[in-house]
Amino acid sequence: MATVSYPASVPREGHVFPAFALIGWRWISRNPASTVAPILLPFIFLYFLFLISPGLFPLEVIGAMLFTTQNIGSWVLGDSATWRIECALQDLFVASPMGKVRYLFGIAVSNLIAAAPALVVLAVVLSFAVGHPVPWTSWAILFGALVVVWVLFSAIGVAMSSRLTSQREIWPVGNLTFTVLGMLSPLYYPLSYLPPLWQQAALFFPTTYAAILAQGAFGLAPASTGSMTIDAVLLLVLAVLGTAVALSLYRWRGA
Amino acid sequence: MALPFALPNFRGAASFSATEARVQLHEGIAVFTSMITQFVVLIFVWVLARSILPVAILGAIIFSMFTLGQRVLNEAAYVRVDHKLNELYLASPLTPESYFLGIAVGVLLAYLGPILILVAIAVLWVAFTPLLAVELVATSLAVWLFSSSMGYVLSTLFRDMRAIWSYASILYNLFGVLPPVFYPVGLFPTALRPIALVMPPSAAAGLLQDALRPGVLSSSDVVLAAVALAVESLVMFGVALLWARRTAQER
Repeated sequence: MATVSYPASVPREGHVFPAFALIGWRWISRNPASTVAPILLPFIFLYFLFLISPGLFPLEVIGAMLFTTQNIGSWVLGDSATWRIECALQDLFVASPMGKVRYLFGIAVSNLIAAAPALVVLAVVLSFAVGHPVPWTSWAILFGALVVVWVLFSAIGVAMSSRLTSQREIWPVGNLTFTVLGMLSPLYYPLSYLPPLWQQAALFFPTTYAAILAQGAFGLAPASTGSMTIDAVLLLVLAVLGTAVALSLYRWRGA
Repeated sequence: MALPFALPNFRGAASFSATEARVQLHEGIAVFTSMITQFVVLIFVWVLARSILPVAILGAIIFSMFTLGQRVLNEAAYVRVDHKLNELYLASPLTPESYFLGIAVGVLLAYLGPILILVAIAVLWVAFTPLLAVELVATSLAVWLFSSSMGYVLSTLFRDMRAIWSYASILYNLFGVLPPVFYPVGLFPTALRPIALVMPPSAAAGLLQDALRPGVLSSSDVVLAAVALAVESLVMFGVALLWARRTAQER
């Protein structure tokens, strides 16, 4: 395919993130239930988990934060696929100077806006649920883990969206992929609670390290500085690998 | 005015049910993924509180029947909003009542496979008695009738497909996961128990839990749950039949 060349007057730098953030804000301002759903659903499950295992509640709140962030990937998949299949908007984006990575981060920012209220409420609940003062470094580690999970799963979402052919596939494919990935990792319980084989399988998933890291940072699971460093490195390595694979599978032109 | 339950009102229901079941079965992945929430909850219970697994499995069956209403809502709205196919169906000899019932029965037939997998798991994990088996069938059908009727009525209120997911998932998870469907009714606050027992999914789950371990509910609670489930199902079914005819006339 011939490379498109733009005249010098066409801006190479734009306000992509604010524009996509505005799209995210418009979506939740027009349809408030779309904000309530991501807030309410983790709480419904947290209530259920609190009833059946009250001792693990702070850990489960961290799990809900990671799961909500991971689910942004499912929404990215939905938006990207809808814009391409139903609105034929992707052709417009491809024809613009914006590259696919910038497009990915744009949709990821847009959907982060919708998830932000849920994450803020969960963070407040966590601060009360932990029951002891938490140093700022613990919050920084949790924030870092959430950012890595957000980027990775947004990349997976946008890559999968480019392979869908019908709008009716969006919800089941997204739901299946992101829920199964979330459940295979020990987000809502300590890794040690799982059967040995499942524990070993879970070590191949980046969210496992995000969960272990955040649980260790808040003192909810035994962890030393050395083990947390190794977990952080493994999280980053797996996330970079996963993002690279997702981007290589992502069909930008001619999708 | 014709009675909503009169037989001529259901002309074409059987053939439209078969058509709708075939349409649904084309969405194999949607049928497969209909069990995700149930299996997620069962995994939670298996990892964290294995002793309540029989209760959770019975709850998963009831929840599956309840969420069929969400499928009816999605399908009826999709046919109407995206394709306007309802105009074509209703211009044919198919009656509005049969149109609603056809979608509801078709969805039930298509999604019965995954539900039967849960039933097979229940047979392995739950100590079935004849009473429990009969109650499971009866309460499941009542929950399906209520939920499908509610789903159809709600579907007529939406004008935009993108708004449906949020509202439907709030509604169905709120009534299906929050009250004691997947967990023992004894863990639900005592003061709020009557409220849980008049909501169809938790009423059904409560009755099943009492059949599983007699004495979980008092006799007055059993009567409350049984009467509420039966009355709400029949009333909602009647409302849906009347609503189907009314919305067809208003087109």
